[in-house]
Amino acid sequence: MFSFHARNSANTVYNRSMRKIIHADCDCFYASVEMRDDPNLRGKPIAVGGSSQRRGVISTCNYEARRFGVRSAMATAHAVRLCPDLVVVPGNMKKYREVSQSIREIFLEYTDRIEPLSLDEAYLDVSDSAHCQGSATLIAEEIRARVREQLHITISAGVAPNKFLAKVASDWNKPDGLFVIRPDQVEAFVHQLAVRKIHGVGRVTAEKLHNMGIQTCADLRRFSKLDLARSFGKFGQRLYELARGIDERGVSSDRRRKSASVEHTFSEDIDGLEQWQRELARLYERLTERLQKMDDRYRISGAFVKVKYHDFTSMSQERANKSCRISEFRHLLGLCWEKRSDPIRLLGVGVKLIDLQDDGGPLQYELWPEEKKTVAPVREPL
Amino acid sequence: MKFSVSRDALLKPLQLVAGVVEKRQTLPVLSNVLMQLRGQELSLTGTDLEVEIVGRLPVTGVDLEGEVTVPARKLVDICRSLPDDAELKFERDGERMILRSGRSRFMLSTLPTNDFPNQEEADAKASFDIPQAEIRRLVEATGFAMAQQDVRYYLNGLLLECRPQQLRAVATDGHRLAMCDRDVPGINVAEPIQAIVPRKGILELARLLEDSDAPASVVLGNNHIRVSNSQFTFTSKLVDGKFPDYERVLPKGGSKEIYADRLELRQALSRAAILSNEKYRGVRLQLSDGQLQIVANNPEQEEAEEIISVDYHGETLEIGFNVSYLLDVTAVVASDQIRITLADSNSSALLQQPEDGDSVYVIMPMRL
Repeated sequence: MFSFHARNSANTVYNRSMRKIIHADCDCFYASVEMRDDPNLRGKPIAVGGSSQRRGVISTCNYEARRFGVRSAMATAHAVRLCPDLVVVPGNMKKYREVSQSIREIFLEYTDRIEPLSLDEAYLDVSDSAHCQGSATLIAEEIRARVREQLHITISAGVAPNKFLAKVASDWNKPDGLFVIRPDQVEAFVHQLAVRKIHGVGRVTAEKLHNMGIQTCADLRRFSKLDLARSFGKFGQRLYELARGIDERGVSSDRRRKSASVEHTFSEDIDGLEQWQRELARLYERLTERLQKMDDRYRISGAFVKVKYHDFTSMSQERANKSCRISEFRHLLGLCWEKRSDPIRLLGVGVKLIDLQDDGGPLQYELWPEEKKTVAPVREPL
Repeated sequence: MKFSVSRDALLKPLQLVAGVVEKRQTLPVLSNVLMQLRGQELSLTGTDLEVEIVGRLPVTGVDLEGEVTVPARKLVDICRSLPDDAELKFERDGERMILRSGRSRFMLSTLPTNDFPNQEEADAKASFDIPQAEIRRLVEATGFAMAQQDVRYYLNGLLLECRPQQLRAVATDGHRLAMCDRDVPGINVAEPIQAIVPRKGILELARLLEDSDAPASVVLGNNHIRVSNSQFTFTSKLVDGKFPDYERVLPKGGSKEIYADRLELRQALSRAAILSNEKYRGVRLQLSDGQLQIVANNPEQEEAEEIISVDYHGETLEIGFNVSYLLDVTAVVASDQIRITLADSNSSALLQQPEDGDSVYVIMPMRL
């Protein structure tokens, strides 16, 4: 005989379409803060970043600079060629962190379910907020007004039933804009949404989609989950859902680290495997210091290295590994070298982390709990 | 340099020596075995700079002593694929080593022997003779619990502790621990001397030793351990680190004693393991008067339940474990019965042979 048990999960599912998510995103954050504090900079194309003499890159630029084609992560030297009048100011992270904290305090008056993505960007779940008669749109407007009045910078916001759409929405009327996608508008909105607006669809994926005749989410919906999984792997399944406006990811206020890494952009290109390896040893020391300061709730699950070649193309290699000895990184760097032995401008090393407190799953007790598992300095056998 | 040897006599020592040679090498000479011909004896040496194995065997038809290194892997493959009763004739010809057998001829490249690294002589802190079977027993009883690629590098090996008239082995990966003691009358030390032999060395050593009372001599130095018998010399670097205080984690005063049929327990555990979470391998043990229930679940919501009769009288207890750890121990305990001592669901379990055992096993539970 068969017997069926009702699964708990079926009873606990709540109506996710009722969620109200705000994605708040400051407009050219670092540049805005600099313009706020130095009136001389206003109205000019400015960028925060490293100097071109020291091979710096642009961190953020204002909209005046963007008109010249200046973008984040662009080499400053290149940006100055595009926009000869560009004023490049060095960043002041301490100041930005303070402003970010003030913004966060404004958010906290509306909800404590905040997931910061960076200093200038966060998701807010205001589903249960009693403010503004529960209207997420009014909350977003209030937040924007208060940031403008108290901090003298502008912040754009998107309001939608999930994180994916909220993020698309915050970009819709940027800068200093608000865009709302109500639950009953989701279907129509997604229908016309260009696939390149989907977070995670970069140049390569977009091209691949276009070659398949896919321009909008409506086009995307003609393909089965299996088709998309075949062409795009795991991401294909996600595309299938996003094209239907489905995104069940929760706003998690406790953002867990998935990796820890350090990187360095060199003032001159580094050529030759020996030189690469020498720089690697320096970075490895920094990484080790970082790991020692880290919470022992994390365990190392893999090692990776990343290089950016002189032409700005990147390559990375990673491998599952618990020990992360320097030999592991040396090996991975050797693989990069084997694939392409050109001068590099940037080198990064890092580890993938497993959060032992994650999901409240099984927890194996330790015989010597005081012996940290994350400490990395491993003496190499000869 | 010229000699003859039968395939059968050469193959076994050659394979054991070549076993330490790593596939991928930074130094070309490390892919080679060193062949040294002295009198009527050929010695073969393989090394990965951490572990070195020297095998010795008698040969015939010696003409001109000498030494040379040849590619290990290729030589093994050639010997293995020749017929069982083949007679092999080696002859060095300048930079080449010629190997002839019947109507086959192979010409192997060589590398100079002065590039070949050799392990320095061990400075003896302790040296003693021990029946080979005793070392095998120590490794067999504990080796499975060594850590693999742990950041705590000192766990990636086996602790050997020379105690007065006794040799102790301890292995742990931080979650479980195995300890075995064997009487060795030849050990004369006043204070215990500890050495951590790296994992790879231990596994190679176990392959070398015979299950016999024939003695092996052990020399323990500051940085090396050397074990030799008439056919082999094994040398390994030691792990430079401090092994954790293992005596502190041997549980004392567990009030709940369970006696179970070892095989029955093992079989029940291995069946339950099939439906345990593949990543965490957790099983839940529910102990009650005369009975032990084993339950496993996985994310697919499948479930396994096993009930076995045990000799236990007392309060009920529920405790979780990584089933692999329990399976490892139930595989190496030699007796028909196994004794498990528990305190509560957050404290370690002590497993051992009910009487006269040489080993104890400690497993930390899992919160499920």
